[in-house]
Amino acid sequence: MFLTKLAFKNLVRHRNRTLITALIIAFAIFFFILMDSLIGGMTEMSYENIIEYEASHLQVVSHEYREEEDELPLKNLLTVDEQLIGVVKRVAGYQASLAELNFQARLNDGINELPVIGKGVNPDKLLDVFELQDKFVEGSIFSSGEYKAVMGKRLADLLKLKQGDYITLLVKDKNETFNTIDVEISGLLHTGNPKVNSSIVYLPLNIAQQALNVDNQVSKLIVRLENKDLAEISGHLLAENLKTLDNNLEVILWGDLEAVSVAGAKQMGNQMILAIILLIAAIAIINTVILAALERMKEIGMMKAMGLQRKEIIYTFVLESTGIGMLGGLIGLLLGGIGVWIFSKYGIDWGAMIGMDMSAFGMPIIGKMYGVWNLGTFLLVFGFGVFVSLLSSILPAYWAASKDPVEAIYHQ
Amino acid sequence: MKNIILLFFCFFTVVVIITPVSAITAEEIINQRDKNEYLEAARVESEMLIVNGNRKMSKTMESFIEGNNALSHFTNPRDRGTKFLKRGDDLWMFFPDAEDIVKISGHMLNQGMMGSDFSYQDMMESDKLTDLYNFELIGEEELHGRQCYVLEGIAKENKEVSYYRRRSWIDKERFIGLKEELYAQSGRLLKIMNVNRVEQIDDRWYPIESVMENKLRKNTSTDFIIKSIEFNPGIPAGTFSLENMQ
Repeated sequence: MFLTKLAFKNLVRHRNRTLITALIIAFAIFFFILMDSLIGGMTEMSYENIIEYEASHLQVVSHEYREEEDELPLKNLLTVDEQLIGVVKRVAGYQASLAELNFQARLNDGINELPVIGKGVNPDKLLDVFELQDKFVEGSIFSSGEYKAVMGKRLADLLKLKQGDYITLLVKDKNETFNTIDVEISGLLHTGNPKVNSSIVYLPLNIAQQALNVDNQVSKLIVRLENKDLAEISGHLLAENLKTLDNNLEVILWGDLEAVSVAGAKQMGNQMILAIILLIAAIAIINTVILAALERMKEIGMMKAMGLQRKEIIYTFVLESTGIGMLGGLIGLLLGGIGVWIFSKYGIDWGAMIGMDMSAFGMPIIGKMYGVWNLGTFLLVFGFGVFVSLLSSILPAYWAASKDPVEAIYHQ
Repeated sequence: MKNIILLFFCFFTVVVIITPVSAITAEEIINQRDKNEYLEAARVESEMLIVNGNRKMSKTMESFIEGNNALSHFTNPRDRGTKFLKRGDDLWMFFPDAEDIVKISGHMLNQGMMGSDFSYQDMMESDKLTDLYNFELIGEEELHGRQCYVLEGIAKENKEVSYYRRRSWIDKERFIGLKEELYAQSGRLLKIMNVNRVEQIDDRWYPIESVMENKLRKNTSTDFIIKSIEFNPGIPAGTFSLENMQ
């Protein structure tokens, strides 16, 4: 008990040193929490961008189509009939659904040609399932049966196209035969999703089906739920229900999509960077604690001369160091909490800061990016700070405590 | 480019449907034309002149053709060492800089080969057109001062063909294709090929200079000029192997 009290007294007695060391730890923790929050926010934004503009929560496809989806094949398509819609509508949290026909196309403006992804859609359903209504920077959506199309502003800028211009989509139909679709641009979009902005052309479903010779078939049925947390349960229930209808149908959850995996992998990469930051912080903490111990060599000699045993000295020092770690950790958590609160409430506008549209660089950021709360990180990083402080004090304390008292007292 | 040569003969390989107004049938016309243009085996030296707006490029190549197989390697300084190998329905490219063989597949086949107006798919079509299209003799016209039969082919149902409709002008006297128009199913004209010069080589008429135009794009065209051609040469075994590409 005496030694514990001594350690505590030492903390108070050398308050400047305690505070400075604690602040270094606090800064490392604060920085980590803030970075983690921003990276978490960016990942969350990537997921939202995929869900809100590209994939929504659930997709119903045929099993064979899923296997070759990257090629956007025109075989193994599905027919969306009343029965299928009925089953889908009964799923918990159902909001809307969209039948989509995806195909490869070459966008031709008479001079240049660019490969794009064509999407045949019902315009009303498109706006029900995806958050595109407010994203039109020119014109508006087409009506069913109109020879009109909507595309990203970025894609249009690339070919110097504007609303009202005519384009030709060169496609290959189900039999690999060339066909062309001549349409007028009815609207241009600018969303938070770079793929929608630069490589997708939407056009009426019936026109796409006719040009591709696929009768009334579509590539997939996209389902929007009330929120993304329902996807897991609703998706599995839907898959079960669909088995009674057609054993070949498969339900893809938003979290199983390749794009989400890529975003997840990016986050893993970011976590690695954070781990490196943490390692650097650990080295800084170790350095500070070692210097603090060396500085007190004289004090250690005195304690030894007064009869304290080596293990008692080590205990005192480790306890003191742990105290510094806890103090630093608490200050770090407080600062981190304030930082995350600011970022999550007010966000950070990278575009305004550097004066350009980040989405042009493939960064899915339009407008503000917000931080997210992650309580697990708070606990982890606090524990890490305390643990590193504790560990890093053992060796110098052991080294100092092993010295002859006279040598230690006269140590410079 | 041997595949282009294949394309040439494909353009003029036509199925027969008897036209009541003519003494000669579409089938007879096509068969006559095939005698001139179908290549069992050949070695060809050729040049492609690609015009895209103000840009002009020249690419020279040597090609070996045998049945459904073809191997071309480019000989102009910029592309020297680049090779194309076609075996049946598969197409590979070899780029010396990358030192790697790449298989061309999927939607990449629709792109212009080496920036030309010939797509990779155009090169791939070595099937006899008579298997893919129902041809009909629709009339006779004068073209470049020559009297021609005009034939129109519509893709057979459920056959995988690039162009839904094609119209061919075939010289009445020499039985050689002088022009072909390629259409999409929508009726849109996609490409036009004109044969500007034909020569009689080894007792057969053969197209020596042709121009392909992509009608969806302005100011582009590709001239295909045969510098030398040798029919039925001895082609070493293993010429059409992937190992031979590197």
